[in-house]
Amino acid sequence: MAQCSGNELMKEECENHEKCMKMIQAVLDGSATPDEIEHFKNNIEVCKPCVDGYELEKSIKESLKTKVSKVCCPQKTIEQLKVKIGIGLLLILGLVIKIKVIQEIFI
Amino acid sequence: MEFEEEEEELIESKPKYSEAEKYRIFDKEFMPHVDSMYNFAFRLTNDEDDANDLMQDTFMKAFRFINSFQEGTNSKAWLFRILKNSFINDYRKKSKEPSKVDYQEVETVYNSTEDAEYESTTDLRIEAVQDMIGDEVAMALNGLPVDFRTVIILCDIEGFTYEEMAKILDIPIGTVRSRLHRARNLLKEKLRSYAKSMGYKELR
Ligand SMILES: [Zn+2]
Repeated sequence: MAQCSGNELMKEECENHEKCMKMIQAVLDGSATPDEIEHFKNNIEVCKPCVDGYELEKSIKESLKTKVSKVCCPQKTIEQLKVKIGIGLLLILGLVIKIKVIQEIFI
Repeated sequence: MEFEEEEEELIESKPKYSEAEKYRIFDKEFMPHVDSMYNFAFRLTNDEDDANDLMQDTFMKAFRFINSFQEGTNSKAWLFRILKNSFINDYRKKSKEPSKVDYQEVETVYNSTEDAEYESTTDLRIEAVQDMIGDEVAMALNGLPVDFRTVIILCDIEGFTYEEMAKILDIPIGTVRSRLHRARNLLKEKLRSYAKSMGYKELR
């Protein structure tokens, strides 16, 4: 699309398709710059490989988002983690108490 | 190397949270991401036990270095960065994954085959993608080298912005963009071969 503008007829070839696709992906990913969004809006309908590319990328992105199952963290793992963090707290508390005891003895 | 940088960065910070605050932050800011983190760990390692260990290591590290986390900032990105670094440093070496290809090497290879790659992906049809079930898409994703898999997981599954991904991966935004672009071309290749096999099944 970077290279395709102004033609009334839809272009069958895209001279700069790789660059176009990066921009199209950025738009779909919600990370395009305002300039890119503007360029995208003005040019997307002019270039057939870019229109097709846009549709395909969109459909793959949606498939990844909605079809690939998310694995949940096993409850056992969460419990183990809480125990570990809890033990960490006990060690710190133990250390603080020790230091205080030592201080009391020597001061 | 990245890990050392991170450790340095983490160690330099001055203690600022009380013990009670640490627990509150851990519960409020870190624990809500436990499923996303596990999912990321699982997709990286392709192994439940490794994902388990990797996730626990990450949370332990996050707790240990909690003082370098600024409350109210993006805790998910912060945790993902630690997980990614732990994966690279501790798990990647012993991972069961067969091919360990260097970033640079892979990117050079795909740079030189960019045109050929594009030609061969044009016959992937949207209908074929739409007909695929989750397992087929997941298998195609799992078949990608881990660096390419990672950017797709972060972007398409976890919905991070390029800016966030740049921080998580310690790479410039331009590299995020090109790596994503290459990852997607590779994914299309994989999907295309699944689409072909689907067509073959239908004909039988
Ligand atoms: Zn174009």
